[in-house]
Amino acid sequence: MKKSIEELMALIDLIPDEPAKVGEFILPELMAIAIAHEVRNDDIVFAGTGLPMVGIMTANLTVAPNALLIYEAGICDGKTMHVPMSVCDQRAANMSSTLGGLVDTFGYYLQQHFVTLGFLGGAAIDKYGGVNVTSIGDYYSPQHRFTGSGGNSDIGTMSHRVAYIILQEKRRFLEKNDYTTTPGWYCTDWKDGKWKPKKEVWAGTPFAESGPCAVVSNFATYGFDDEGLIYLQTTHPGVSVAQVQENCGFDLNVSRVEGETAHPTYRELFVLREFVDAELIFLPQKVEYPPEIQKIIDG
Amino acid sequence: MPRLREKTKKAEILSLEEAVKRYVKDGQVIAFSGFTGFNRNPVALAWEAIRQGRKNFHVLDRHGSCCTWMLNAVGAIKIYETDWVGWGEMAGKLDINLNNQYKKGNIILEDYSHGAMAMRFLAGAIGAPFIPYYAPLGSDLYDDRYDALGKAGLRDGSHPKIAKKKYIQMEDPFYGDGDVMLLPAARPDVALIHVTQCGEKGTARWRGIGTIDKELVFACDKVIITCEEIVPESELRKEPNLNQIPYFTVDAIVECPYGAYPSAVPFFYDYDAPFMRGMDAASRNEEDLKKWIDEWIYGPATWEELMTKVGAKRLMELKADSTTGYSTRILRGKKPAPRVTVPLSVARSGY
Repeated sequence: MKKSIEELMALIDLIPDEPAKVGEFILPELMAIAIAHEVRNDDIVFAGTGLPMVGIMTANLTVAPNALLIYEAGICDGKTMHVPMSVCDQRAANMSSTLGGLVDTFGYYLQQHFVTLGFLGGAAIDKYGGVNVTSIGDYYSPQHRFTGSGGNSDIGTMSHRVAYIILQEKRRFLEKNDYTTTPGWYCTDWKDGKWKPKKEVWAGTPFAESGPCAVVSNFATYGFDDEGLIYLQTTHPGVSVAQVQENCGFDLNVSRVEGETAHPTYRELFVLREFVDAELIFLPQKVEYPPEIQKIIDG
Repeated sequence: MPRLREKTKKAEILSLEEAVKRYVKDGQVIAFSGFTGFNRNPVALAWEAIRQGRKNFHVLDRHGSCCTWMLNAVGAIKIYETDWVGWGEMAGKLDINLNNQYKKGNIILEDYSHGAMAMRFLAGAIGAPFIPYYAPLGSDLYDDRYDALGKAGLRDGSHPKIAKKKYIQMEDPFYGDGDVMLLPAARPDVALIHVTQCGEKGTARWRGIGTIDKELVFACDKVIITCEEIVPESELRKEPNLNQIPYFTVDAIVECPYGAYPSAVPFFYDYDAPFMRGMDAASRNEEDLKKWIDEWIYGPATWEELMTKVGAKRLMELKADSTTGYSTRILRGKKPAPRVTVPLSVARSGY
C-alpha cells in the first residue's frame, strides 16, 4: 500500500541518520547530498537550476532548515512542495516570503550583498575556481557552445561563498579556461590585461573576499586554500586519488585529502527520494532501500 | 535619451493577426515576457510573427524561451543579444536551433550576464542611458575581443538601438567602492508580453513571479499584450496593488487564451514539459525539425486550432490548481506528483 506524504513525513525521524553503504545509493544522490553539506543553517542561498536546486532543497530539509533560498526569477524563501524544473517554476514560488523579479534578486539581494552562498553548476573549471559556461575552443567558432552565463557569473562573484557541482573530465578541469565566464580567485584585470588575484581586481568593492569555497564532481569534493588554489578534499567511494588526478587537466594538490566523501545517510536519502525529487525528474531512477530500511517504511 | 512620446498612447484591442501585422516588423529589436521556456512566454505572438514571415530580428533579451526556440527554428533571428542561449532548462537546456544557426554564421551572438541584462533593462525602464553594476568584473564577458557587435562593425553609432560600447569599466567616483561596469540601457523597439488579465484600456496584471516584465514594458517603444482574458478595467481597479502595467504604456491588447502554451501561466495552466522535451528532440534532426515546424507552426489555421490539436486531455492535465497555481496532474518526470498539503520544510521547521 502506497503511503501518503503525511504518513511518510511521520517516518523521517524513525529512519536512521547513519551512513548508507556503497551500493545503496547512486552517484547523483551522493553529489546532491555532498553539496547540501556546504549549507549552513543561517545561509541566504542563491541557487541555479538542476542538481544545485536539488542539493539546496535537501539541505533545507536536513542540515540547514533555516537557510533561506533565493531563485533568480524573483523568488524569496519559497516553501516548495513539488520539485521545480526551473528557477521560475511556480512550484519554487509556493508560499514564498515575497515575489519580485530580476532587479530584486540581482540588485536588491545579490549586489546589496545579502547572499552568503551561491549554488551553481558549470561546464568547466580552472584551478582557481574560475568557471566556463560559455564556450570551448575559439569564442567565435567554438568546438562547443554552452548556454552562456545566465546568472552564473553574477551569483558566482557576488555571493560571499560559492559552491559548484561540475562533471569532471580532463578537459573540464583545467589550468586555464578557454573562456572565463565566472572569475574564481584569479581573473584578468582588463585595465592592463594581466592575470591577477580577484582580491586586487575587485579591490574596494564589497565582493573582493567573495568567491568559490567548494566543488563537488562525480569523482571527488574539493576545497580552496588561502591562495585560492583548489585542492582535493575527499574522494567518492571506489575512486582512487590517482583516478582523480587522471581526470584532472592540471597538477592537483592532493596533500590535504581527508579520505572518502561522507556517504549520504539513510534519512538524507529518504528525504531526497520521497520529498525533494519524488517525481524522479532529476534522479535517473528509483533506487531500492535495503531491507531493514524498507521495513521501517512499510511499518 | 529618455523618450518624449509624440502623443499619448491609446491601447487598441486587436486580433492576433492584426496586432502582429501592425507592430511586429522585420529587423526590429524585440524582447519577450516571462522567464526561459517555462513562464509566461508570448508564444502565440512569436508564432504569428513567423507565420507572417517576419525575420531578421535583433533579439535583446535576458535568455531564450519557447519564442526564441521557434524563431531560431526558422532562422528569423539575426542578432541575439542575451545572457543565456538555452531555452528549456530541465526540458532542453541548449537551444540546438540557435547552435545550428550560429555554426552556419547566420547569427551574431552577444553575451552578457543575467544580472547585467536585468540592470540594462532597469536603466531602459527608468530612462537612464546607462547603469553601473559590479558583476562580473574580470570576466571574459568584458574582454574587448569578445564584443561581437563591435567586431561586426555595428557599434558605430548609426544604429539607434545598438550602444556605441558594450561596457565601460570605471572607478566609482563617489564613494571609492572599487571598479564598476557601466552598462548601456536596453531600449528595444517592441515588447511582446503575455499576462493573465488585461483591462480593456490596457491596465494589466499577472500572478506569480515578475521576472523583468515591468522594466521591459517601460524600456520598449511599443508594447503588445496578449492575455488569457480581457476583463473590465473596473475589476482590476478594485485591487490596484495587484496590477503591474499601467495602461498608458500599452499599444495593443489581444485576448488569446493559452497564448503562452507550452510555457506556464501561473494559476491558469502549467508548462507542458513533455511537449517541450518533444521540441528539444525534434531540433536534434533536420528532418524532424522540418516536420515539427510544418505540423505545429504552419499546420494549424489559427491559435485556437493549434490548441484544439494539443487536445482537451492535455489541457485538463495542465489546468492549474486554484490553490498552488500549478498542476499536480501532469506527469513531468517518471513518477506522478504526490498529493501534498503542507510543505515538508514548514511542517518540520515552520517559517
